[in-house]
Amino acid sequence: MQQRDQQVFSYLYDHYAPALNAVIYRMVEDRELSEDLLQDAFVKIWNNFNSYDKTKGRLFTWMINLTRNLTIDTLRSKSYKKQSKISADENAVSNVKDSSTGIEKFDAVGLTKHLSNLKPDQKTIIDLAYFNGFTQDEISKQLDIPLGTVKTKMRSAILELRNYLK
Amino acid sequence: MEVNNIISSGLLELYAAGLASQDEAAQVQQWVQQYPEVADELAAIEASLAMYAQANALQPDASVKEKLFERINEGDTAKVIPLSSSQESQLKVVKIPSAWKNVAAAAIVLLIGSTVFNIVQFNKSKAVNDELAQTRQQAAALAQEKKQLEDEQRDINRYVETARNKYSQSVSVTGLNAADSSAKIFWMKNTGDVFVDPANLPALPADKQYELWAIVDGAPVNAGIIINTEKGTYRVQQMKAFGSAVKVQAFAVSVEPKSATPAVTPTVVYAVGPI
Repeated sequence: MQQRDQQVFSYLYDHYAPALNAVIYRMVEDRELSEDLLQDAFVKIWNNFNSYDKTKGRLFTWMINLTRNLTIDTLRSKSYKKQSKISADENAVSNVKDSSTGIEKFDAVGLTKHLSNLKPDQKTIIDLAYFNGFTQDEISKQLDIPLGTVKTKMRSAILELRNYLK
Repeated sequence: MEVNNIISSGLLELYAAGLASQDEAAQVQQWVQQYPEVADELAAIEASLAMYAQANALQPDASVKEKLFERINEGDTAKVIPLSSSQESQLKVVKIPSAWKNVAAAAIVLLIGSTVFNIVQFNKSKAVNDELAQTRQQAAALAQEKKQLEDEQRDINRYVETARNKYSQSVSVTGLNAADSSAKIFWMKNTGDVFVDPANLPALPADKQYELWAIVDGAPVNAGIIINTEKGTYRVQQMKAFGSAVKVQAFAVSVEPKSATPAVTPTVVYAVGPI
């Protein structure tokens, strides 16, 4: 492989691995497994980099989708279920709601403080989708809201998020 | 759908959060291509979510990156590597924690920078691609120009060769109604070959064409369709040969309906030139 590609890839890893690692960790709640999956995800990103289409969205969105799908596939795989303690149920969600799960947060731009102003239900809906990889259906069941309102609630939550990030 | 309706529909948010169905995703991608405002909106949504993800970042162990690069360099595409022992990874954390904290802090600070970096890289590669495309276009244009010049030179050479041929007898065919329009015939007495320089024949409507005739024993014999009547070119066209034995009394140019096959008898005689 090209030396230059590896340099760019190394750069990508340094910038995005912590965020992706957090996403995986939210779903698997196991630091070692999370890091193994992170490695798998980056191998996949490396191998499939040519299939990234910038017209379909930004690079990070592509990477997080790939990572989330890989993690979901692993969670659903038979070999994982045998030893698993996790399913997409209350365990995962109680974890989402609990912000003190021992995750070390990096907050060089003071984001976390801003984000603590986000309403809890708005934070939850973003977390369930973006971090936990829930489907619209799963979110509607989890939050006990009609399927049709997931879209509007997600929009208002992200609008709120954007306000804080301005 | 109006741009504002698209933006307020909530679909862009679903797409960015990874919640959109395949159909919805395809729809969003089409909108993004179609409306720059939608593309901007989606970019802003994605940026906010990326920021959010970075705010929740969890630094992986340094060994993850090391092993990752080992796997990449081995060309490894296998699924899962053996789990590292927790003891080992803890040892490594103890070994170089401050370095990683710095890298992590830098990574967050540079998040915005990295976004810019990506855009710059894409723009750069786009610029290089554009430049390459432009150079290719220029090269193609030059090649075409060169070919045109070569064709023109070949035509001139051929014209001069034909006109200077010591056996060449030139015959001027002059317009019956317009004396300034003419064609020049080169009649090779040794071989009977016939060349025509039609450059002074006026342009015809698209459904008409000029044909050359030789008058042999008082009767017109078709010598072929005159193809190029474009002015300013040195084009001599070789016509049907009659052989040196045939006695040609005159040449004539007629105007015929456009056709791939020459006419049997001239319809409208436009110009005549006796030998």
